[in-house]
Amino acid sequence: MTSTPFGQRVEIGDAADIVTARRAARELCERLGFGKADQTRLATAVSELARNVIQYAGTGHCLIEDGSDALNRRIQVVVEDQGPGIANLEQALTYGYSTSGGLGAGLPGTRRLVDDFQIESAPGLTRISIALNKPF
Amino acid sequence: MSSLFDDLRHSRRSAILDEWLSALRAGAPQHTDAPASMLARSDTEAQALYDAILDALIEHQPADSRSTAAKDTPVNLTALLRQWSAEPARQGLSPAQPISGLLALKRILLRELIASPDSSRDTELPWLEQLFDSLALLTFETFGETRERMIAAQSLSLMELSTPVLRLWHRILLLPLVGVIDTQRARQITERLLEAIVQHEARVSILDLTGVPIIDTSVAQHLMKTIDATRLLGTRTVMTGISPEGAQTLTKLGIRFGDVISRATLRAGIAEALLMVDRRIAPVEARRATGGA
Repeated sequence: MTSTPFGQRVEIGDAADIVTARRAARELCERLGFGKADQTRLATAVSELARNVIQYAGTGHCLIEDGSDALNRRIQVVVEDQGPGIANLEQALTYGYSTSGGLGAGLPGTRRLVDDFQIESAPGLTRISIALNKPF
Repeated sequence: MSSLFDDLRHSRRSAILDEWLSALRAGAPQHTDAPASMLARSDTEAQALYDAILDALIEHQPADSRSTAAKDTPVNLTALLRQWSAEPARQGLSPAQPISGLLALKRILLRELIASPDSSRDTELPWLEQLFDSLALLTFETFGETRERMIAAQSLSLMELSTPVLRLWHRILLLPLVGVIDTQRARQITERLLEAIVQHEARVSILDLTGVPIIDTSVAQHLMKTIDATRLLGTRTVMTGISPEGAQTLTKLGIRFGDVISRATLRAGIAEALLMVDRRIAPVEARRATGGA
């Protein structure tokens, strides 16, 4: 894990890294002045995405950054992996769809949890960016 | 064949060894309560390591100095060095400790090599460097491995500790969950709970989630499976301790626990569980009054 004044990079390789990543997210969230509900929202979202990385790609990393500007506090998280990618994005974002026997709530649920959600996926690179915003 | 390394191995062994040992003692952490037996053991360890390193320097020197194909480190030296590094790792010392000890020896040997008049430094200097580089790597690797094994063992024992199934009352079990629930722990929780249900003929089991930091879809799925399994054994489950933020997050994620009974606090959960087995907690006064009437 490396940290700069503006953010943290967490390598994701096994289950313990999920805990590290979501703790880092929660901490920055708290430092930026987000409430407890927001902290839990973001930590859960990061947990989902990090778990996906381990389950489907094996390894990846997660970048947690302060993106605040003059009007809003903003925390953004980018989760990236070099795995096989998501074959059908539309299906993957549908509630109840899972290729691994899971609940199929991870990605669609994460999308509902956060304020901004962007996903791009191709074989060799999957990048999901999420963010929470809160006016000052 | 180097006469210098031979000298250091045999005729001047005790002088050099003494110098290294005192360097080691100076660099060692100050254990005021370190037993003398421990110090003595580390001395014999250092002696054995010294001999093994010099033997390796003498016998395993590659014929061509520029050949980068390093020969394998001799087996006995590897074993000694592993022990050399694993011990401080087990004692919780810094990785600098075994490595700086090794490098202290390297400095002494280097000085001797440079001071010696007749040595062919072109071949011996790179060889000394090469050997000590690989030894330092091995030391660090061993240190890391030892620590990792310790951590794995500790987390295993922690896992054992953290899934107790408590008998709260006749036919009521309490399972307080604390910490991260991964697949392995979920399996263990399920196993323990099911065994206890059968053993105690439990009608109700309370799953307290107060100590679970995050309930994401994976944790939720594990919990659902556990609850389904207990249902097959004829037990009803009361979930307690989901925080307000947790509840909000779960609904946003779209996770529904369906017909599972859930209470905000363990207290409310216990009251509910008692009701299910037709019990309640009543003040002593009330009972006396009915008893007296």
